[in-house]
Amino acid sequence: MTTATVETPNQTKPAKQKVILCEGNEAAALGVALARPDMVAVYPITPQSSLVEHVAKLIADGRMDADIVDAEGEHSVLSVLQGAALAGARTYTATCGPGLAFMFEPYFRTSGMRLPIVMSIVTRDGITPQSVWGGHQDAMTVREVGWVQVYCETVQEVLDTTIMAFKIAEHHDVMLPVNVCLDGNYLSYGTSRVELPDQAEVDAFMGVKDVNWHVALDPLRPMAVDPLTGGSGGKGPSTFVRYRKGQCRGMQNSLRVIEEVHEEWAQRFGRRFAPLVEEYRLDGADYAIMTLGSMTGAAKDAIDEAREAGKRVGLIKIKTFSPFPVEALLKAMNKIQALGVVDRSVGFRWNCGPMYQEMMGALYRLGRHVPSMSFIGGLAGADITVGHFHRVIEATEKLVTNPAPAEPVWLNERD
Amino acid sequence: MGRSYNTIAFDAAKCDGCGDCMTACATAKTGSEDQTRSRIQIVGSADDGFELALCRQCGDPKCVTVCPAAALTKSTESGVIEWDAAKCVDCLLCTIGCAYASIALDAGTGHVAKCDTCDGAPACVPACPHDALTYITTARIYNEVGDWEDLFAPGLAGCQGCNTELLMRHTLRRVGPDTVLATPPGCVPGMGSVGFNGTTGTKIPVFHPLLTNTAAMLAGIKRQYKRVGREVNALAIAGDGGASDVGFQSLSGAAERNEQILFMVVDNEGYMNTGMQRSSCTPYGAWTSTTPIGKGSDGMPAQGKTQDAKNLPLIMVNHRCEYVATASTAYMEDLYDKLDKAIEASKVGFAYLHVYSPCTTGWRFPTDQNIEVARKAVETNFVMLWEYTPGAGLQFTRPVDDPLPVTEYLKAMGRFRHLSPDQISHIQGKVVENLAFVKQMVHQARA
Repeated sequence: MTTATVETPNQTKPAKQKVILCEGNEAAALGVALARPDMVAVYPITPQSSLVEHVAKLIADGRMDADIVDAEGEHSVLSVLQGAALAGARTYTATCGPGLAFMFEPYFRTSGMRLPIVMSIVTRDGITPQSVWGGHQDAMTVREVGWVQVYCETVQEVLDTTIMAFKIAEHHDVMLPVNVCLDGNYLSYGTSRVELPDQAEVDAFMGVKDVNWHVALDPLRPMAVDPLTGGSGGKGPSTFVRYRKGQCRGMQNSLRVIEEVHEEWAQRFGRRFAPLVEEYRLDGADYAIMTLGSMTGAAKDAIDEAREAGKRVGLIKIKTFSPFPVEALLKAMNKIQALGVVDRSVGFRWNCGPMYQEMMGALYRLGRHVPSMSFIGGLAGADITVGHFHRVIEATEKLVTNPAPAEPVWLNERD
Repeated sequence: MGRSYNTIAFDAAKCDGCGDCMTACATAKTGSEDQTRSRIQIVGSADDGFELALCRQCGDPKCVTVCPAAALTKSTESGVIEWDAAKCVDCLLCTIGCAYASIALDAGTGHVAKCDTCDGAPACVPACPHDALTYITTARIYNEVGDWEDLFAPGLAGCQGCNTELLMRHTLRRVGPDTVLATPPGCVPGMGSVGFNGTTGTKIPVFHPLLTNTAAMLAGIKRQYKRVGREVNALAIAGDGGASDVGFQSLSGAAERNEQILFMVVDNEGYMNTGMQRSSCTPYGAWTSTTPIGKGSDGMPAQGKTQDAKNLPLIMVNHRCEYVATASTAYMEDLYDKLDKAIEASKVGFAYLHVYSPCTTGWRFPTDQNIEVARKAVETNFVMLWEYTPGAGLQFTRPVDDPLPVTEYLKAMGRFRHLSPDQISHIQGKVVENLAFVKQMVHQARA
């Protein structure tokens, strides 16, 4: 298992916090409880199941005041929440893998209706080949349909980000659904020390709930929700365009809001997480590796060792994957000459990792050529070890002087 | 609004032929207890029961038409056919004109006599010891519902002759404005209920769910209002395709969880809005655009749908919903009774109303025949009208004792024009089988 290092708190303000030991799925459930949703809808699927079991138990024990709907499938899970959100509820669910695939029809629509639903994706590789283990293939497959998607590195970050996700989603400049992605197996079942925020302080952080001011199904404010638009000309297409443009604007606004919310979180609770992109030992680096999610812990250890060995390497971690934080990435990319990108999923169309593919787009905007290559590892539950990252570092180092290979490097193929 | 009038209704099942009503009428009108002078006559019927000979105060009275002296007129005020002694020439033509033997010679006066409803307080009604007579307002729906607010826009873009508009207006009048309406893709939003480009056809909150998730979305809405202590009806008006096929999972799930929803299916037996394709509710043998007629291959001609329809309402009964009923727009009073019950049931749990709704366009019949086709479906037992509650089980609400042959229904529509004798006999056989199946459930409920 990768080491899940708890960030050293950059304590700016003391807060009343209980320290507990729990797995990532329980941490997510505790974060949900602290955010006080009105409704959760659940359907079990590995490796998400213990998360919704924890939520159900919190409600059963009276530690969480929410209505829980045990729906007959993920498609209805998200549909129940859409209805509840349109009636003014704060809403939450979690899923992964085939469940997310089954949910896709309402999933696509959630962003278009601008419903601030929060959903954890306890990431799982895509089937087939049959597998029930972790991987980012599920979340990556749905990265292009208007949900904000953030990836957590540690169990503590899972808890804190789950709470922050509600505030980001419900921000009036955003009004979009948010996925909090936590790596199946590594974060879902990884147990670590967690600081539990105080409920009253979370309440103060969250502020007043106001989720259906913009669209509602309410007899006191009768309106037709989602009437037909589009067509070949006239008012129809322009109406559609304005809705779509609004979604894109909300996505872009979320970059600023994610930063603001993380800053407020740091101020109130003393834990500071890089909101969009984390630069790790990048100053003085000639080249860097790029990571996503829980693999980053092992990668940082490898960077530390490489630095001690005199290699001029740093690390760029993406937290906010959707919308793609292009400006923050360009700022980091300006510091280096070569890049190796490690994905935990594949992009079938480009024969590389999806994050690498996205980076290629961002690098074009940099205005200078940065040699880069794609590494694919950690599929279907495989561990990406410090040793793997040393191989990544070595291969990336060669890019500074040698031509980049056309093929991706597949980690875990023979080890 | 127009006018409708009161009338004296007779329930033959309650009458034991005692004659108290006739005595009361004779006393009130002649001062004698001579029952032959009563204007209400109870007579023996062919099945050893009793029939009623009493003026119906017809809307198109034949007695008035045949009267050469204009002595009989229908009052626009009360609706009563009034007789004017000063004008009557005692020709008795009216007694021949009346089909109900309800105007007759009164030997005591030498003139005809008929019921005048005792100026709105008929003496016969309270005299009946068995409540077989009631004084009721006719056209109850017209009178009661007509004054309620129509919650749909004046114009809707349905096909000519479609009765779904009728259904939508009646249903929304009844459920009222404290309702959230879901109209999944199909004819109902196709008619403009959710609207196009900023205009809407509905005066209450309305939305397009997906074709697949109507019941789930409504469940979320209803639960949230319940959570905050507000009473809001959650109503779906959905097509049969979205309910029985791709949306069945969410429907079944919501029913199993007993969500407090009223789910109405408008069953036009196919995907009519999108081009008349086959659904699992399409009956055997029917032409649709995906079960077309053709010469086929290997001597096996294509002759419409090759499977029988899924019986969705019976499947819903097996969810043990709070209320399940079938209804038809040819039987609006029955539909209204069921709507009332379904609304009440949906305050407790899942209520399901399955309304058979002929499609002029997709079933291929003249646009003025919609109600007739709906009626024929019931009169042949092709469609059965029943209701279910967990307490009372399954009960027929409009049993058809002497059904017409199913060909009377089939021949009314172009979609069955191609049927072979074998196919017709298959359909007739299924009608008999389905009736037997439902009767068995009714008997079980009674046992």
